[in-house]
Amino acid sequence: MLQIKELTKTFGEKTAVDNLSLHIQPGEIYGFIGHNGAGKTTTLRSVVGIQEFDKGEVLIDGTSIKADPLGCKAQIAYIPDNPDLYEFMSGIKYLNFIGDIFRVEPTIRKERIRKYADLFALTSDLAQPIASYSHGMKQKLAIISAWIHDPKLILMDEPFVGLDPKAAHILKEMMKEHCEKGGAIFFSTHVLEVAEKLCDKVAIIKAGKLIRSGTMDEVKGDESLEEVFLELAEDAEREA
Amino acid sequence: MIGILVKKQLMEVFRGYFYNQKKNKARSREATILMLLGFALLMVVLLGGMFAGLSVLLCSEFYELGLGWLYFLLMGMIALLLAVFGSVFNTYSGLYKARDNDLLLSMPISVRDIMIARLLNVYLMGLMYASVVIVPAVVVYWILGKFSITTVVGGIALVLFISLLALVLSCVLGWVVAMISSRLKHKSFVTVIISLVAFGAYYFVCFRLNSLINTLLANAILIGDTIHGKAIILHWIGRIGEGYLPSIIGFTAGAVALTLLCGWCMSRNFLKLATVTDKVAKREYKETTAKQKGLFAAVLGKEFSRFTSSALYMLNCGLGIVFMLAFIVVLIFKGNSMVEMVSGVFGPASTAFLFCMMVSIMGSTNFVAAPSVSLEGKNIWLLQSLPVDPKLVLMAKLSVQLLVTNIPVLALSIAGAFLVAMTVPELILFILFPQVFTLLISAMDLALGIRFANLVWTNEMAPIKQSAAVTIALFGGWGLSAAVAGLYFWKGHLLGFTPYVGICTVVSALLAAVLLWWILKFGSKRFMAL
Repeated sequence: MLQIKELTKTFGEKTAVDNLSLHIQPGEIYGFIGHNGAGKTTTLRSVVGIQEFDKGEVLIDGTSIKADPLGCKAQIAYIPDNPDLYEFMSGIKYLNFIGDIFRVEPTIRKERIRKYADLFALTSDLAQPIASYSHGMKQKLAIISAWIHDPKLILMDEPFVGLDPKAAHILKEMMKEHCEKGGAIFFSTHVLEVAEKLCDKVAIIKAGKLIRSGTMDEVKGDESLEEVFLELAEDAEREA
Repeated sequence: MIGILVKKQLMEVFRGYFYNQKKNKARSREATILMLLGFALLMVVLLGGMFAGLSVLLCSEFYELGLGWLYFLLMGMIALLLAVFGSVFNTYSGLYKARDNDLLLSMPISVRDIMIARLLNVYLMGLMYASVVIVPAVVVYWILGKFSITTVVGGIALVLFISLLALVLSCVLGWVVAMISSRLKHKSFVTVIISLVAFGAYYFVCFRLNSLINTLLANAILIGDTIHGKAIILHWIGRIGEGYLPSIIGFTAGAVALTLLCGWCMSRNFLKLATVTDKVAKREYKETTAKQKGLFAAVLGKEFSRFTSSALYMLNCGLGIVFMLAFIVVLIFKGNSMVEMVSGVFGPASTAFLFCMMVSIMGSTNFVAAPSVSLEGKNIWLLQSLPVDPKLVLMAKLSVQLLVTNIPVLALSIAGAFLVAMTVPELILFILFPQVFTLLISAMDLALGIRFANLVWTNEMAPIKQSAAVTIALFGGWGLSAAVAGLYFWKGHLLGFTPYVGICTVVSALLAAVLLWWILKFGSKRFMAL
């Protein structure tokens, strides 16, 4: 579903992502963990085509994001770490805008909006301007807009930030359901407990370099993910 | 503590002098000093000088007629008006909508201190605006009228009286603005309409200022007698400046009492006012099946929503629409006399050209596309991550400007075509040139918007009013128009209307094509890399 091959991105002298390779298969929930500034957001932004990268290749369902950006983007959904949405629109206008862009058939669109807005208890607020939404409400709207066109691959940057426990639980269920249907999810998180319980595979990044990746058992063995993460981070620091 | 809070608030009011919003960093000390000096120069020399001139004009006349009190009443009213309207929106945002109320209330600062600091801030702003009018008026009276201890005391008392009254009125009006604002449904459109009415009133007064002053001077005695007879309190207020002791004591004490009463009322409600959350009128959601829009229509709809959601955007970048609509009305009712006047001054041969240029210049006062890329701000990730061709996005941005400009330009051209006698080729060019010229200006505005895009801003005023793209777009549009007109009067008129305007149309079309090519080829890549 998603292949990242030797991705490298530099900002001036700083290498934000260094020769990173990952392969996310259909049906997988893939966690991406690392310290602040490790290169998670840069990787995600490169994958979704927001940011150009210096070296490497990103393939979505076998198609290069550089060769066919629009074709690739039509198959994915992205939720950034901060849900900066069009505040001049109402919630429903925004969802319809996204529906129009992804050419979601109106009756299907209506059903999906109803389903997900009800799940997140956002239906009664859909006519309100997004400017009046709380951070959590904006995050819920961003999640609904990502699911509205039933993408093959969903990329999320810290999706649980700002969500209440119930909404976080709903999102986890939606992620599982999406992958059961053959979709894939690649998301970054700082909440290691969530990653440990939710992910099929995990990748740990430190200073732009991938320091370990694989299934949850391969990465953590008998230890907790938190212990492994801290040990690996210390090792990487010593090596540096 | 109050001193620290007042200093913080004044820094907030004048933050533009300390902080560069465009570059998102603090200004250098030298730049801050220069900007503050510029502001002082504007207030003291320009505004102060203007009101000093008005004072000189009125003072000697009124003083000789024994109507010094009417002079002070008049200048006092102007000062009060300027102080209240100059600081009412600052009062609204500083007193009732301060973003740091929660932060300050969470600190070990008494509510009383916060309130006094806020009121002092409003007072200082009002005093600043009032002083621009009333201080020159008082000084001019001392020079041209009477200078004595009583007039000096009276002058100081008048400044105090007006500034305190401005404080009370600002607090009350600020509260009214807060109440109205929290209840308005279509804030941006209402703001646009109110602003246009205010603009209209301002220009009307400016236009008629001379005749108003002359009427006032010619009827000073009659006006004075009427006020004296029907509103004696105004007569006594005016006498403060003349140094009339009962007026000084009575009104100063009254203003102080009113201020204390205002402070008392505020102190009883300040905590509630400071922590109130805006009531957002609940709009009921009704589930409907949306009509499927095409990609371009969806993005164009989004761009129109952005334009109409902001009063600042509409007023600054789309004011040409109002000018053009107003001009159509003028043409309908006064068109023939205008044609006669233009024809009389520039000759019948140049009439069609001048109308054509007037329409083009009016069209170039719209520059909706110039800040549209910068206005994406933090939302840029959306258009960059969605499966939309950036070329389509840029064409949607261009189309907004074309739609809001070319349609009124066409209506104006048609209205003008009925007034000026023309041959068929002339008529075609009379309508075609402004359309092509508007396309050129729109493409130029969008290209500037891409070239000088600034996505890092905290207030949309930065991209709409203070950006390089907007400044160059505005003056560039006028510059191009001036170049076309200048060339016509220099050599073009020798060619005649049809050949000259025909050449200009072709050149404009070619330039527009080059700009559109750049936008699609390079601008779209630049947009994606922002």
